[in-house]
Amino acid sequence: MGKVREEEMDLLSESRIEEDLLRNVNWSKKFKIWFGFLTVLLIVCLWFYIQQLRKGLGITGMHDIVSWGIYISNFVFFIAASLIGMLISSVMGMIGYKWIKPISRIAEIIAVAFALVAGIVIITDMGRPDRLHHLVLYGRIQSPIIWDIAVVITYLALSLLLLYIPLIPDISLCNDKLTGLPKFQQKMYKVLSLGWAGNEAQYKTIKRYFQILLIVIIPVALAIHTVTSWLFAMTLRTGWDSPIFGPYFVSGAFVAGCAAVIIAMYFIQRNYMLQDYITDMHFDRMGKLLVLVSLVYVYFNINEIIVPAYKFKPTEIKHIGNLLYGHDSVLFWLVQAGGLIIPFMLLMIPKMRKPLPSMLISVVILVAAWFKRYVIVVPTQLEPYMPIQNMPESYHSYTPTIPEIAITVGTLVMVLMVITILTKLFPVVSVWEMKEELLQENQS
Amino acid sequence: MKKLILITIVILPLFVAAQETWVVPETNLEKISPFVFDDDLIKDGEALYENLCISCHGTVRKNNPMVFVPSPGDPASEKFQSQTDGSMFYKINKGRGGMPGFEPTLEEEEIWSLIGYFRSLNKAYIQPEFDYGDEVLSELAMALSYDANVDKLVVKVTSNGEMKSGIKVSAAVKGLFGKYILENEETNETGIAYFNVDRKMPGDEEGNLTVQVRAQEGYSIKKTEQTMQLVEPTVKTDLIAGRHLWSKALKAPIWLIVVFNLIVSCIWGIIIYIIIGLVRLKKVS
Amino acid sequence: MAETNGNRARDSRRNFLRNLSVAGSSLLLAGCSDSSSGQSGEKIKVLNQNQELVEVNASDISPASLQADKEYLKKKGRTGVPGRKFVMVVNLAKCKNARQCMKACQGAHQLRPEQHHINVLEMEDEKTKATYYMPKPCQHCDNPNCVTVCPVDATFKRSDGIVLIDNERCIGCRFCIAACPYSARTFNWIEPRDAEKYKDIPYDMELNVPQKKGTVTKCAFSADRVREGKLPYCVSACPNGVYYFGDENEDLVTNGTTRRTVRLSRLLQDNAAYTLMPELGTKPRVYYLPPRLS
Repeated sequence: MGKVREEEMDLLSESRIEEDLLRNVNWSKKFKIWFGFLTVLLIVCLWFYIQQLRKGLGITGMHDIVSWGIYISNFVFFIAASLIGMLISSVMGMIGYKWIKPISRIAEIIAVAFALVAGIVIITDMGRPDRLHHLVLYGRIQSPIIWDIAVVITYLALSLLLLYIPLIPDISLCNDKLTGLPKFQQKMYKVLSLGWAGNEAQYKTIKRYFQILLIVIIPVALAIHTVTSWLFAMTLRTGWDSPIFGPYFVSGAFVAGCAAVIIAMYFIQRNYMLQDYITDMHFDRMGKLLVLVSLVYVYFNINEIIVPAYKFKPTEIKHIGNLLYGHDSVLFWLVQAGGLIIPFMLLMIPKMRKPLPSMLISVVILVAAWFKRYVIVVPTQLEPYMPIQNMPESYHSYTPTIPEIAITVGTLVMVLMVITILTKLFPVVSVWEMKEELLQENQS
Repeated sequence: MKKLILITIVILPLFVAAQETWVVPETNLEKISPFVFDDDLIKDGEALYENLCISCHGTVRKNNPMVFVPSPGDPASEKFQSQTDGSMFYKINKGRGGMPGFEPTLEEEEIWSLIGYFRSLNKAYIQPEFDYGDEVLSELAMALSYDANVDKLVVKVTSNGEMKSGIKVSAAVKGLFGKYILENEETNETGIAYFNVDRKMPGDEEGNLTVQVRAQEGYSIKKTEQTMQLVEPTVKTDLIAGRHLWSKALKAPIWLIVVFNLIVSCIWGIIIYIIIGLVRLKKVS
Repeated sequence: MAETNGNRARDSRRNFLRNLSVAGSSLLLAGCSDSSSGQSGEKIKVLNQNQELVEVNASDISPASLQADKEYLKKKGRTGVPGRKFVMVVNLAKCKNARQCMKACQGAHQLRPEQHHINVLEMEDEKTKATYYMPKPCQHCDNPNCVTVCPVDATFKRSDGIVLIDNERCIGCRFCIAACPYSARTFNWIEPRDAEKYKDIPYDMELNVPQKKGTVTKCAFSADRVREGKLPYCVSACPNGVYYFGDENEDLVTNGTTRRTVRLSRLLQDNAAYTLMPELGTKPRVYYLPPRLS
C-alpha cells in the first residue's frame, strides 16, 4: 500500500464509492457522439468488406508470395492485446498485489474485446467465409488452425466469466440503485444479477469460482498465444521456423497488453472522474510493469536475431539482412528502437510514469507493437526458398490497399465499440471490492 | 543489317522453291504401306511426330503450324489428308525447302508409322490392302517361357511350323505409360531368342510381369502379350497407411486425439461446472 | 495440344456421364469400356472416355442427374489409382526454357497468366555462377507439410502419391501456401479465368477445374490423365525431353518427348539424381537430374 493511497482511502465512504463508481453507467451525450462516430466509421469499413466479399481477396494487396498480410498481423496483435487480462487479474492477483483491484476489470474488458474481435478478424482473412462451417464438419485436429479456434473460444469463455463473476454483485447494485434507464437495460441487469442476495455464502461461492478461473486461465492464456505463434513456427519458412516463437510471442503480448491497459486507464480515469480510484500510483506501477515486460521482450528479440545471424545459413542470412539493413530495415529499427527500447528507457524515469506521459509512451509502444506483428508476418514471406519469377513485379513487395486498411481499421473500431459499451453498461471499478477494501482499512 | 541480308539470302530460295506446288512423281503416288496400321505402329508414329515434326507442324487437330510459306500444314487437316499415302511417303522421305528429307535418318517402317499416325486422325480412312505379290508371307508362331538356369526369357519362334534363324525378335516389359524394351535379338538356328531379365525388377505380388514380344520376318509380323512369372515377388507398401500428422482427419495420430480431447474436455468441464454453479447461485444461502 | 486434350477428355466424360448412369457403379468406375453383362435385350451404342463407340445393354443404363455426375467425380478425386505410386524425373541438362510445359498446364487448368502450377525458374549455381533452368511443379511430397496444416481436409494425399485439392472444401485460409517451402501453391484472388464460361461444368477434382474464387490451386500431376494411362499435360508438351514420368511400383518412367521407357532406379543412380531441399524432410516425389553447367 502506497502512502498516497492510504490518505485517499480515509476520505472515502461507502456511499461515496457507490456514487463515484456508478456515475459512468448512463448514456450521456458525449457517449452518443463518440459511439455515433464509431458507427459511421464502421459502416464505411463494412462497405469495403462487402466489396471484398463480392470481388474476392484480390482487392487487398496480398498475392501468392505474401499470402498473409495485415489481416493476419492484425489478428496476432489482437490476440496479443487480449493476453493482458490474464497477466493483470490472474498472475498479479494470485501473487497478492492489491493495487491491481481497481484496474483488473479494465484489463478484463480489454481482454474480452480483443479476443471477441480477433475471431472476426480471422474471418475477414478467409477466401471463403461462406464455408466457415467446414471447420466444424471436416475439422482436422492435426492443424494448428483448429487448435487456435478451440483455444480462442475457450479463452473468450474464460475471460467472459472472469469479467462476469466479480460483476454479479455490482450488477445487482445497478439493478437496485439505478433508475431511469431503458427498459431492456433494467431487464438485463435483473437477469444477469442471477438473483443475487449478497449473502455470505454467495460471496464465498463466487470467490471460489473466481479463484478456479484465475488458475485455469493461466495455461489457456499461454496456449492462445503459443498456438497463434505456431501458425508460423510449424511451417518450414525461414524466419518463422523457430522453436522460441511461443515465449517470444507471449512476452511481446504482455508489452502490447500493458500499453493498452495504461491507455484505457488514462481515458477512463479522465472521462469517468475516477481519480480517487485510478491514481498516479497505478500509472507508476503499470509503468514499472511495462518496463519489466519490455526487458523480457527485448531479451527474446535479441535471441531471435543473434542466433540465426551468427550461424550464417544462406537462407536465414538473407532474411536477417533484410531486417537489419535491407528492404525492411527502416520499419524494423523504428519498431525496435523507437517503439520498444527508447520508450522503456524513458519509462524508467519516475516523471515519465505520470498519467499523461506514460499514456503517450504507451500509445507509441502499442502502435509499434502492431507494426512489430507486421515485421514478423510479412518480410519472411518475401524471402521464399524458390526465386520469385514469371510473376508480376508487384509480387516482390507487399503494400496494403485502401480496402484492406479500412477493413483492419473496422476491426479496431469494433474493439473500441465493445470496450465503450462495456464501460458504459457496468461500473469499470468493482464497487463491492472497493467497499470491502474500505472495510478492511477501517478495521485495521 | 548484315544479319538481315544473310537471313534473306538463306530463306529466299526456300520461298521460291515453295511457291510452286510440290509435285510428287507419278510412280510414287500409288505406293502403299506393307505394314498394318495397328495401335502399336500408330503409337510409334505419334512419338516420332512429337519428336521430329511438332515444332513446325504444330499440335495435331489444333491447326497451329509455324507460319511459313507455304504452311507446313496440320496433319489432321483436310488438305493434308487428301494426299495419297505414297505422296506422304515421298515427301517425308525426300523433303523440300524448309522440310528436311528423312531418308537418311528414318527406317522405312518408321516413315510408315508416321503415316499410320496421320491416318489415325482421319476416321474415314481405310488402309488399302498391300499386294505382297509373289512373296509368301510366312506364318509366325511364338512360345514364351522362362529358363531359370540362365535367368533368361526364352522365345521360341517357328516360321510356317519350322524353326529358322535370323528372325528379328524384340521383347519389352509393359509399363503404364510405355513399354520398356529389353533387347532386340535374332533367333538362332534352333529358332530361339534369349532375353536377359533383371530379377530385381518389381513385378506384382507373385513376381509376374507382362511382356510384349514381336517377331518379324520380312513383312510378316507377329505380336504377343503374356503375363508370366519372371521376377521375384514384390511386396507393395501403401503410401498412406498408418497414422501421420498429414493423414486425413479420421486417421490423426492417437496421441494427438487423446491429448487434444483431454485438454479441451477438462477445461470445458470446469467452465460448464462454473456456469451451472452460477445458474444455481440464487439458491445458495 | 494439352488444352485440347484436356477439354476433349473432360467433355467426352461429361457427355458420357450426362447421358447415362450405370446401375452398377463398378462398371461406371471401370470406364464403361466393357459391356459383357450377358443380359439379353436391346443394345445401344454410347461413347466412352476414349471416344470409342461401345455397346451397352439398354437395361443397364438410365439418364444421369448432374448430382450423380458430381458425386462420381468427387469420389474418384479422393481415390488414388490403385497400385500406383507416381513419380516424376526432371532432367535439368535438357531444359532450354521452351516453356511449353507452363503453357500446356495453364491451358488445361484454366489458370491466369500469373498463376503457375509448374514454373520454369532461372537458377544460379552457387559456385560457378552459371545459370540453368529448373521447371518446378508441386513436389507431391510423401511428408507433405501443406496437408498437415490444412484445417478441413481440403488438400490430401492419395495412395498413388498425388497431393490434390478439393476446391469445394477449401475455406481459403492459405495456411498451405504459407507452409509449402517450394512455393508450389497459388490462390484464386479474384474470379478465375473464364469463370462465367465454365460455371455449369461439374467440378473435376483430378483436373481441379473449374477453378473457384477464394480457393487454393496447385499442380495435380495431371491426375485425370494418368488415371487413363496418359502422360501429364506438361510432360507430353515438352519438346526437349526434359520430363520422365512413371510409376515407382513398376520402376519404369517414360520420357514425355521420346516416349522411351527406362528403369527409374537406374536413371536416378546413373545421373546422381537429387530432390529439392531434402534437409526439410518433405520427401518429394519429383527428382532432378543435375544441370549441365558450362
